[in-house]
Amino acid sequence: MEIRTRMTIELKDIHFSYGRTVALDGISLSFDGGAVGLLGPNGAGKSTLLKILLGFLTPASGQGCVLGYDIRLERSRIRRAVGYMPEDDCLIAGMDAVTFTAFFGELSGMPRQEAMKRAHDVLFYVGLGEARYRLLETYSAGMKQRLKLAQALVHDPRLLFLDEPTANLDPQGRQEILELIQDITSHKDIQVLLCSHILSDIESVCSNVIILNKGRLAAQGKISELRQLNYRLYELRIKGESDEREDAFLGRLKDLECRFEETEDRLIKAYLPADRDLLALFRVAAEEKVQIRHLVRSQTSLEDLFAKAVGVD
Amino acid sequence: MGIREKGYEHWDGTLMEHRHPWWPITRLGIKLAFRKKSFKFVFAGAFLPAFVFLAGVYVSERIEDFQNMFHSSSSQKFFEVNPAFFRTYFSNDSLLFLMIMIMVFAGAGLIADDLKFNSLQIYFSRPIGKKDYVLGKCAVLLFFLLLLTVVPGLLFIIFKMVFAGSFRFILDYPWLPLSILGYSAFLSIFITLYTLLLSSLNRNRRYVSILIFAVYIFSEILYGIFYERFREQYFSLLSIKSNLQQIAAFFFRVRSPFRVPVVYSFLILTAICLISVAVMRKKIRSVDVIK
Repeated sequence: MEIRTRMTIELKDIHFSYGRTVALDGISLSFDGGAVGLLGPNGAGKSTLLKILLGFLTPASGQGCVLGYDIRLERSRIRRAVGYMPEDDCLIAGMDAVTFTAFFGELSGMPRQEAMKRAHDVLFYVGLGEARYRLLETYSAGMKQRLKLAQALVHDPRLLFLDEPTANLDPQGRQEILELIQDITSHKDIQVLLCSHILSDIESVCSNVIILNKGRLAAQGKISELRQLNYRLYELRIKGESDEREDAFLGRLKDLECRFEETEDRLIKAYLPADRDLLALFRVAAEEKVQIRHLVRSQTSLEDLFAKAVGVD
Repeated sequence: MGIREKGYEHWDGTLMEHRHPWWPITRLGIKLAFRKKSFKFVFAGAFLPAFVFLAGVYVSERIEDFQNMFHSSSSQKFFEVNPAFFRTYFSNDSLLFLMIMIMVFAGAGLIADDLKFNSLQIYFSRPIGKKDYVLGKCAVLLFFLLLLTVVPGLLFIIFKMVFAGSFRFILDYPWLPLSILGYSAFLSIFITLYTLLLSSLNRNRRYVSILIFAVYIFSEILYGIFYERFREQYFSLLSIKSNLQQIAAFFFRVRSPFRVPVVYSFLILTAICLISVAVMRKKIRSVDVIK
C-alpha cells in the first residue's frame, strides 16, 4: 500500500519499538498547514515520532509521508525540504555563527555563496546579527537556541520541526523565541510541528495539537474544536449535609463518566462528556442531598485537554 | 538584544543535489584545523624530513663536489637515491611521529567533538548519509597525510631527474611512482582510520589526543620489551611502526627490516582498519538510543 498525499504529514499505522519497549503503537494521523503542537508526557513517543518523520528511525511497520515524500524511501528529499531544531545544544567547536549556519545551508544543497549570504540574513532575523562572528562556545543558552533556529531556517524549509524550542530559556528569551515562531507560522508560509512539554507555549503558537500517550494517539485536531467536542468543563461548589454526602456525590459523578478535580479552595472542576445532559448533574445532587451553590461553564485550557487525553488527574 | 532586526525573506534559489555531499565537511575540517596555531606549527615542521631528503637528492647528484665530506664509501651509499632511499623517507621515525602529531592536532576532535556537542543530529537532518559524513572526515586527514607522502615522493623523482639532467632514474625504476602512490595511499588510509577509530570512541578530544599518541608509542614499547626478553622478531607485529616499515619495504621492493612474512603485517593493519569502520558504523548515528 502506498500513500501519496498533499497533506503536510500523513502517517498510517506506524509501529516502532526499542527492543522490547514499544515506543509507537499504531500511530495514524494527518495534518495540513499551520502550526501543530506535539504533546505528551515523558515516554509518550514524541521524540521517536519526530525522528521517524526525519528518517532517523525506520518504523517496523506502517506508511507515512512528509510533504508528499515517503518516510522510508525519500529521506533525502524530506531532509532537504524540512528544517530541524533539536532539543539538545548542538554546535561545532571553533566556529562562529555565520560559518556554522552557512555550512548547514550548504549541506542542505545551497550554493556556497548563497548559503553565506543567507546565513547573514537569517542570523539577523533571529537576533544574532551583532554576535554572528563570535565563537559558538561563548554563546549563552538563549543565543544557542536562536542559533539552532537559524540553522533550521537557513535553507528556507517548507516545514519546521521544533523540539522543545524554549527549553532552558528565561521568561524573556522564551517570549522572544515564541514571537519568532509565531511570526514564521503566521506570515512566512512555513509550517511548524512544535514538540514541547510547556503547554502554554503550544497554546500560544499552535492552532492544532497532536497528543500522544504511551505510544498511542490520545487526541488530535484543532485546539478550539477539541475543547468543545469532547467534553464541557464546569466549575462548581457544593454543600452537603455531611462530608460523606459530598463524597458520595463525587462518586456518583464518576458513574456519569464525568472526571473531576478538586482545588485547594474546594472548587470542583467537572469534565462532563459532551453527550451528557447538565441536568444529570443536578439529579445526582438532589439524590445525594447536596446543594450546588455555584456553577459556571468554564473555558478549557490546553492543560485540561492534555490531562483529559492522557488520563492524568 | 532585540529580535527581528531584519525581516525574514524567502530564499528564491533552488536546492541542488550535491554530487559530492562530503566535500563541505572536508573543506570545513581543513579550515578549522588551520585556525589552530599549534597545528600550523606542527604541520609546517612535518615537511622538515622532506626538505632534508630533497637536499639528499641534490647531494647525490653533486657527490664529487662534496667529496671532502665523505671519507667512506658507506656514507656515500647513504646519499644514493634508489628505492631504499624512498623506503627510508616513508618509514623513518621522525616522519611517522610527525604524522601522528598532526593526527593529534587535526584528527582527535573530528568525531569526538561532534559526539560531545551533539552535532551529529543536525548533520543527519540534512540530505547526507553516514557514508558522506565519514568520507568527509576521512578526506580531511587524507588531505594532510597525502601532502606529506605523495607530494614529496613524486617531487623527489622529479628533482632527481632535474638535477641529473636525464630520465635514466625513472627508466631504471619505472615502477617507483606506482610504489609511492600505493604506499602513500596505504599509509594515509591506515593512519586516518586509526585516528578516526580513537576519535569515535570518546567524546573528550584531549583524551583522544592522548590515546592517539599513547597507542602508537605503547605498541613500540611493547615490541621493545618482548624483543629484549625473547629475541624473537615476530614481536615486531605488536608495533604499529614496525608493521608500517614492513609494508614500506614490500612496496619499495627492498629487504624487510624484520624476518617476518609481510602478509602478517598487512593483515594486522587491515584488521585495525576494519575494526575502525565497524566502530564508526556503530558510534556514528543520528539518534542516541537509551535502553
